[in-house]
Amino acid sequence: MRQTARLTSALLRAYARDRIALFFSLVVPLMLMVIFGYLNLGDFGRVSIAVDDQAKNSASKQFTDILRGIETLQLAEQPAADALTKLKRTELDLLIVIPSDFAIAPARPGQTVPQLTVYGDDARPQQVAVGRQIIASVIDRLSFAVTQTAPVVGLKEESVQGVRLRYVDFLVPGILGVNIMQLAVFSVAFALVADKQRGVLRRIMATPVRITNLLTAHVLTRLVIAAGQVAILLLVALLLFNVTIVGGLGPLVVVALLGTILFLTIGFALAGWAQTENQVPAIAQLITLPQFFFSGVFFSKNAAPEAIRPITNLLPLTFLNDALREISVQGATLWDVRTQILGLVVWIVLGFLLAVRLFRFERF
Amino acid sequence: MPNIVQVQDLRKRYGDIEAVRGISFSVEQGEVFGMLGPNGAGKTTTVEILEGLRRADGGSATVAGVDVLADPSGVKRRIGVQLQSSAFPEHLTAKETVDFFAACYDLTVDAIALLRLVDLDDRARQLQEKLSGGQRQRLSIATALVNSPQVLFLDEPTTGLDPQARRNLWELIKSIRARGTTVFLTTHYLDEAEVLCDRVAIMDEGRIVALDPPRKLVDDLLGRGFTKPTIQQQANLEDVFLDLTGHELREA
Repeated sequence: MRQTARLTSALLRAYARDRIALFFSLVVPLMLMVIFGYLNLGDFGRVSIAVDDQAKNSASKQFTDILRGIETLQLAEQPAADALTKLKRTELDLLIVIPSDFAIAPARPGQTVPQLTVYGDDARPQQVAVGRQIIASVIDRLSFAVTQTAPVVGLKEESVQGVRLRYVDFLVPGILGVNIMQLAVFSVAFALVADKQRGVLRRIMATPVRITNLLTAHVLTRLVIAAGQVAILLLVALLLFNVTIVGGLGPLVVVALLGTILFLTIGFALAGWAQTENQVPAIAQLITLPQFFFSGVFFSKNAAPEAIRPITNLLPLTFLNDALREISVQGATLWDVRTQILGLVVWIVLGFLLAVRLFRFERF
Repeated sequence: MPNIVQVQDLRKRYGDIEAVRGISFSVEQGEVFGMLGPNGAGKTTTVEILEGLRRADGGSATVAGVDVLADPSGVKRRIGVQLQSSAFPEHLTAKETVDFFAACYDLTVDAIALLRLVDLDDRARQLQEKLSGGQRQRLSIATALVNSPQVLFLDEPTTGLDPQARRNLWELIKSIRARGTTVFLTTHYLDEAEVLCDRVAIMDEGRIVALDPPRKLVDDLLGRGFTKPTIQQQANLEDVFLDLTGHELREA
């Protein structure tokens, strides 16, 4: 106990003096959170629409006024030629061309109705789809008004989330998860492989130190750092972005520490396998990068292609992020996220076995 | 004098290479024992087996009364080591480094007193990676003394040091011997062996080819009718260098 405590305190002191390590474990995560928090990546934004009104009559004015009154749309009058260029540069989402014969009147049998032409930017399919939908429903309502009929079915819309979910609320648990992964994998792998290469481990192994105590000291050091990292990130999330942790800090910290232990085992396995420092970044990226994109850090994990989703759903970071997010956003308890916790525990066991297999102190 | 290191028919092989080919020797308590030989002679392998860092393939060895092959950890508790091409944890001061190694032995030591012994007490609060080569070797010896070892193993302690730092380290080794600690060192500097060692073993291709006090080895050679082709100089270039630059340590 005493030996472990002394070694831990020495390692922590050394870590606190390591500017590069501090930069990667504190400054980079903060940058990620602030940048993505302000980017509001998940925000749908508004659909920007150009209108080329070739009719310029009261009907076309009525139509565009209705569109202009819809909050999701951003309308500007523009000649079709200019707007098409802008569309190609993805500066616009949609272009509506109102024909000169535009009218809002019941069509007599056999008479052709005026045709609105809508051009869409294929690079922004979501915005185009939403914009088209809104235009179509505006036309429907106008038609009902003109033909004096009422829709056969009414629609009452309600949000699924009790509270409106902002992107930062979604983002913060993901940032926590990804940073726990990065810290645990990279800091352990880099530090231990460097120690291995420089002969530090050899020197330590020439003492009768208990290896379990030394390893425990390394693990405890990272747990303390991870706890500090989580605390700072949460503080910034609370103060800067007004994020609410619905489920409370306790369960969140428990899951975060479980995640740290999981990724530490992977870091140790990597440190055991790698012979030189140059091998570490390559393999560490190979392990962390797919999880970065497919485990629901910056956007939903369901953004992963359907075919690989059965795999991505089982990634360590997916379990961690899902648990953190359900606690943070939906107010889940530890019992509610027991499936994810089980997933984490299974990965911890696998990672531990791998680390024990690959990490041989006697070899240094 | 009782033998503090006893080696019998020790063997070690790496693949096709037979690094140590059945060597036997003993080290007496309180002496400075030197192991000489060219690179690749098997010195470091022998020393690392005695330090409990490598397993021998055959033979036996006891250090400070403990069987190295049966209880490497017991040997580690009783000896102090300075390894070749090893390093200390980064971002720790000299004092913290000594304390770190004391923690490895689960001992509490007066780190400043140990640093004073190697003349580093004024560097106690300096980060170890900022120390000069000679200072780091002395720090290394301080960390090897945290458990008051019965035998101190030094693997090429002066390699890479300037003449002043070398001589300074020789004085330190002599003072450690004067405290009654047995010193086992390897070197490929013959002058170092001549100055420091009570007895030297010369190793070549995994075998010990000679083992005697340095003076006797020289006398035996002369007795075999050996003469140097040139006249013995009264001084050499190193003497000139030291005369011009002094014996004082030049360390930042």
